[in-house]
Amino acid sequence: MTTLEHDRDGARLNGPAGVVRARANQLLVLVALFAIWQALSMKLGVYWVSSPWHVISRFSAGVAGGDLLRHASYTLAEAAAGFVIGALPAAALPLALRRLPAVTAVLDPLMVGGYGAPKLALAPLFILWFGIGIESKVALVAITVFFIVYFSALAGVRALDVKLVQMAQVMGASERDVARHIVFPGAVPYVFTGLRIAMPYSIGGAVIAELISANRGLGYLVQLGAMNFDTTGIFTALVMTTLIVFLGNWSVNAVERRLLRWRPPADLRMQAGS
Amino acid sequence: MADPLLEVRDLSKRFASRAGRGPSPWVIQGLSFSVKEGEFLTIVGPSGAGKTTLLNMIAQIDTASGGEVRFQSEASPLNDPKALNPGLSCRIGYVTQEDNLLPWRTTLQNVLFPLEVQGRLTAETRARADLLMRAVGLADFEHHYPHELSGGMRKRASLIRTLVYDPPVILMDEPFGALDAQTRMQLQEDLLRLWNLGRKTIVFVTHDIAEAIALGDRTLVLSRAPAHIAGEHIITIPRPRDIRGIMTHPEFGALYQRIRAQVQ
Repeated sequence: MTTLEHDRDGARLNGPAGVVRARANQLLVLVALFAIWQALSMKLGVYWVSSPWHVISRFSAGVAGGDLLRHASYTLAEAAAGFVIGALPAAALPLALRRLPAVTAVLDPLMVGGYGAPKLALAPLFILWFGIGIESKVALVAITVFFIVYFSALAGVRALDVKLVQMAQVMGASERDVARHIVFPGAVPYVFTGLRIAMPYSIGGAVIAELISANRGLGYLVQLGAMNFDTTGIFTALVMTTLIVFLGNWSVNAVERRLLRWRPPADLRMQAGS
Repeated sequence: MADPLLEVRDLSKRFASRAGRGPSPWVIQGLSFSVKEGEFLTIVGPSGAGKTTLLNMIAQIDTASGGEVRFQSEASPLNDPKALNPGLSCRIGYVTQEDNLLPWRTTLQNVLFPLEVQGRLTAETRARADLLMRAVGLADFEHHYPHELSGGMRKRASLIRTLVYDPPVILMDEPFGALDAQTRMQLQEDLLRLWNLGRKTIVFVTHDIAEAIALGDRTLVLSRAPAHIAGEHIITIPRPRDIRGIMTHPEFGALYQRIRAQVQ
């Protein structure tokens, strides 16, 4: 049973002891970065780069007062809504167009153009169209996420293993069975690759849109801090943004682990590929 | 004599020629043979002789350039890719060289897959699947995913996935090719045991002469490309056969020599 041996190897590399060591190293790097930051703030002055201590106390005050959490939840809501609105059609479209390669070909230059266009430059336009409320931010996030996920899903549909389809057809599978039992599950890992890449963009997109014009959200806090020469305020908003990105990453990974239990662990896949 | 269940008549195949090149060579030309109901036919041929192409055409996942395949005296058009009917409405099963298990389904879900898409998932067919799983020693692995199984287990799963829906003809394309000698012998024994239960009609392609003799009622020899039938041998070794001791059977040596001389 080669599988069991692989598991044992995997355990040696990624087992509890390995995880603890990795976490300890990560903590070490974090402490080093804080030390550099602290040293810089002492040399250049808190006015320019703030300091870890200032940020931490402002952060806890903001969380305790509820103000920071309120702004964060606006940003999170914009990012989450835009993420869903952008990702769902992006994942569905290549699956729906699988049997219509002519349509896919017509769409291709549009999609490539949309993928390449700097979406953040659209933010002013969206604010013009949708106002300074949540709608313009959701639209910006959605369009950013859409193109990333579309191309991942398209790659998933194109990576379809023809032999699996033939096997299923010999066994009596209809076109619908093939789409449901072979094309769709085969594309899911690719869609998740797109979702993982798109996730930070969704939060970044929301923050940038808020920077340009908003009266709430983390981007607004950054803008407010800049206007008041309040570097601590800017850094505090950035730390919160980063935490949201972590949360988003963790959520996507959790859903992926749940849905893709059938996949061999990553180290096994690499062995198979080499 | 009854009509053959499956008949291959004057079958030919050449792949589409590429632009800027001459016509592709014939892979198969003028190939004819027939299979009786309940017969275990083995076909041996050198690698590159078009064995897989032949089975792909019979299973109707590939077109033919000429000739026809008849099932119960009924011919199907094989020249038009749009008119192909893969598996001939579930009457021709096909165990391919690779196991082609769906990686996102557990062993049991893979075995039940054909029943599911054919709308035949009943208590009765589930019991049959269970029986087959136990017969090949997979009962304890029904909730494992394919990547968690050994090569031999994957082969067994892919084998019973076709047996479970009971197609009248089963094509097998070197199903045990990639396995070690020990596992392969076990699987050959499993296959003969399962075949004995239902006496399906089997067309089993291999490059291993000993395997062809050990399993078959009759062995056809394919020539080098363009493939046609170079010889036919009735295997008279009585069943049930002892796979592990087959090479010491008095008839084995002469059969092996005769077939060996034709496989070039």
